[in-house]
Amino acid sequence: MCKIQAIKRTFTLFLLIFLSSMVLTGCWDRTEINDLALILAAGMDKGKNNNIELSVLVFIPRPQQSGQGNEMSSGGSSGQSFVRSAEGKTIADAMARLQEALTRKIFWGQSEVILIGDKLAKKGISEQIDFWMRHSEPRIRADVLVAKGKAKTVLKAIPELEKDASIQLRKIVKSHIGVRVTVKDLLQMLSHTSNVAVLPWVENLPPTQMDKKKAIPIIKGAAVFKDGKMVGRLSDKETRGILWPRNEMKTGVITISFTGEEGSISLNLLRSHNKLIPSIKNGKWSMRIKTNADLEVFQNTTEFNLFDPNVIKKAEKKVVYEIEERERLVMTELQKKLNADILGFADEFEKKYPQIWKKNRDQWNEIFPEIAVSFDTKVKIQRTGLADEKHKRGAER
Amino acid sequence: MIEKGRISGLELALIMYATVSATAILYIPYITAQHAKRDLWLSPIWGSLSGFLIVVIIVILSRYFPGKTLIEYCELILGRTIGKIIAFLYLFFLLHDTSIAFREYGEFVESAFLHRTPMLFVTGSIAISCAIAVHGGIQTIGRCAVLFLPIVFVSYVLIYIFLIPDLNLKNMLPIMADGVLPSIKGSLAPHAWLSQYSLMSFLLPLVTKQQKVMKWGIVSVVASVLTMVLMNLGNLFLFGDILINLQFPVFEAARFVSVGSFFEHIESIIIAVWVLGGFIQLSAFFYMVVLGTSQWLKLPSYKPFVLPIGFLIILFSVWTIPSFEDMIRGMGTTVPYYFLTIQLIIPSLLLCVAVIRWKKPKSFMQ
Amino acid sequence: MKVLGILGIIVILLFIFLIQRPGLKRSGKREKIAFFSIMMVNGVLAVLLVIFPEMPGPGQMIDFLYKSFKPFW
Repeated sequence: MCKIQAIKRTFTLFLLIFLSSMVLTGCWDRTEINDLALILAAGMDKGKNNNIELSVLVFIPRPQQSGQGNEMSSGGSSGQSFVRSAEGKTIADAMARLQEALTRKIFWGQSEVILIGDKLAKKGISEQIDFWMRHSEPRIRADVLVAKGKAKTVLKAIPELEKDASIQLRKIVKSHIGVRVTVKDLLQMLSHTSNVAVLPWVENLPPTQMDKKKAIPIIKGAAVFKDGKMVGRLSDKETRGILWPRNEMKTGVITISFTGEEGSISLNLLRSHNKLIPSIKNGKWSMRIKTNADLEVFQNTTEFNLFDPNVIKKAEKKVVYEIEERERLVMTELQKKLNADILGFADEFEKKYPQIWKKNRDQWNEIFPEIAVSFDTKVKIQRTGLADEKHKRGAER
Repeated sequence: MIEKGRISGLELALIMYATVSATAILYIPYITAQHAKRDLWLSPIWGSLSGFLIVVIIVILSRYFPGKTLIEYCELILGRTIGKIIAFLYLFFLLHDTSIAFREYGEFVESAFLHRTPMLFVTGSIAISCAIAVHGGIQTIGRCAVLFLPIVFVSYVLIYIFLIPDLNLKNMLPIMADGVLPSIKGSLAPHAWLSQYSLMSFLLPLVTKQQKVMKWGIVSVVASVLTMVLMNLGNLFLFGDILINLQFPVFEAARFVSVGSFFEHIESIIIAVWVLGGFIQLSAFFYMVVLGTSQWLKLPSYKPFVLPIGFLIILFSVWTIPSFEDMIRGMGTTVPYYFLTIQLIIPSLLLCVAVIRWKKPKSFMQ
Repeated sequence: MKVLGILGIIVILLFIFLIQRPGLKRSGKREKIAFFSIMMVNGVLAVLLVIFPEMPGPGQMIDFLYKSFKPFW
């Protein structure tokens, strides 16, 4: 009797283990790392017959060579990644085509850059963003950029310092030379009533600065989108103008010169803080752009002594003028030419005057160009550097 | 009494917290945002009304009938036939609710990770592990709650701490641009979730210190409401207006974490940790169904029914909800009314009759 | 496919029965009756679900009952 029970007990135990092992494997979704094609960056272009051309930068996993230095990375095109592309009606369709040509399963989890070709950008991007939000693999933190020409060619670039175009673009975006926009930010901008967006614009480094055969992508200005379509471009200088109000101005050198004086002073930006202050008075909409900036002197080629508080004051005034001039430049471009509210004025008005905003939401396109923009810039020169000006006057003495 | 084990007040509060909040943090933001838009963080505050009301009703009822659960005193209050019918209604609802909870768990794991794995295997495997916990009795579940929930809690707080640089507090403005109504409309789902505090009736007789039950119940409701409010706020600060498009904002938030470009892609850990919370929730539901069934049938033990009822729950989770979209739509429209009728109206009815027919208990309120 | 599904259900129900059997032996008549009726419900419902996967369930009933509340919001 006792023995039979013991046998039964072991039997049930085995059954339990068997059952749970069947259930716990999760083998339907098993993917080993060597079954995955890691995508580093994706590019979208306009293809033939209204198709989408999807290009991907695929990582080539290779064991690291021990002690041999890095012969591979200097070996030109045989780097650590390659570019493939395919066309389809939608991105998902193109991805299925792409998958046919790859032995491994496409994996988006590591894709940190999404490039959009300028032709597709002009045609419209809002439909394509859906894929990046809906699919559960791609990161919504990926940076989105617009490429001059085809996105595919930009992905093929082999930068000197970085391993591939993906890292190159990511690092440039991170350095706050231009605007930084992630998939999430782009969607946020597009879903707002004003329906405008700004994306960094990628161009090749001009051939004067390097070897002619190579193409190295860098960020040069920004692309402006309205209703999901690219409507215009901002130059490098204009982009600096929108970086201030967007609170993205992190580094930069401002050079000022004075009328009637030889030489100029270059100042390095330490930190800046910006605020948009909307107001509606008697039906008149106005916006004050408040900027606070701290700077330090990098170079002084003038005869001024920077220990003189009057000189500092003069210089600060000049810097204020310079900053406001850039902002004014871009504001006229945005308000008069593009009618694109990429600084989020609409948002500010909505937050401060929700009731007035609700009544005027539909007329925003008419209101925006008429908004009176004023500037309120405060600049403080914190340090004047490690040396003073006396070495220049040494000859006089 | 069927159950021999006892739990402390803290364990009661934690089990109830998991029962309500584990799936609430996943599904509430999306459903609430559909109506409330930017005011979605206000909705759980309105929803807390039903939470508090139900806790008070259930605790008073348990003072009238110490040591008895809703299924048992239903018969005492309403007489044998009507009592049995009402108790069955409640029990059927509980089974349905449990199957919805299993389905919510399954749908989340499916849409986040295991796209190809059939749902039955996801829900089935958690059901087997829950069955073991249920077989172990309430003490097992209570201890698990004390062990696991702090981990879950800390990991969720950490997500939003890591996201601080990306949070934009201005997303919350303007508050109540369209008046209070949208946030009240959006509070339908939080009402439904918080009304699940009526399930506390199954645990109350098992608590060691009966005098502190009210306090722990209220603490648990406050904790759940705070969790929902803070989760909604965190998601709002991160995503702003696009929050209404995201089905699992918490998951998206975990995916968004990136600290110093090396601490990234932590969503798998987050899911693994969340499963701990889900396990407590599902075990508690499962336990209540099993206990309720055997009490309804007046049986001396519940252990033989753990596996058959587990099987029934899985069947129901397949049967009652045709698809994910149906589930989400239901949660935003009809299901909350169903939850409220069963969980708010039945207990208040019982309380009314009890007040009229029974003498006030000596230890009414401490 | 459907035959396989039904077979699977029978196997799982048998497992459940085998696992719970030692406990059941010790218990009274009421429990045995209750156990087998739940198992019956399980079996019938599972087989029905395998044969008619689109069978309307309690979810649809709730939808139907509370449909009229929707316009309030």
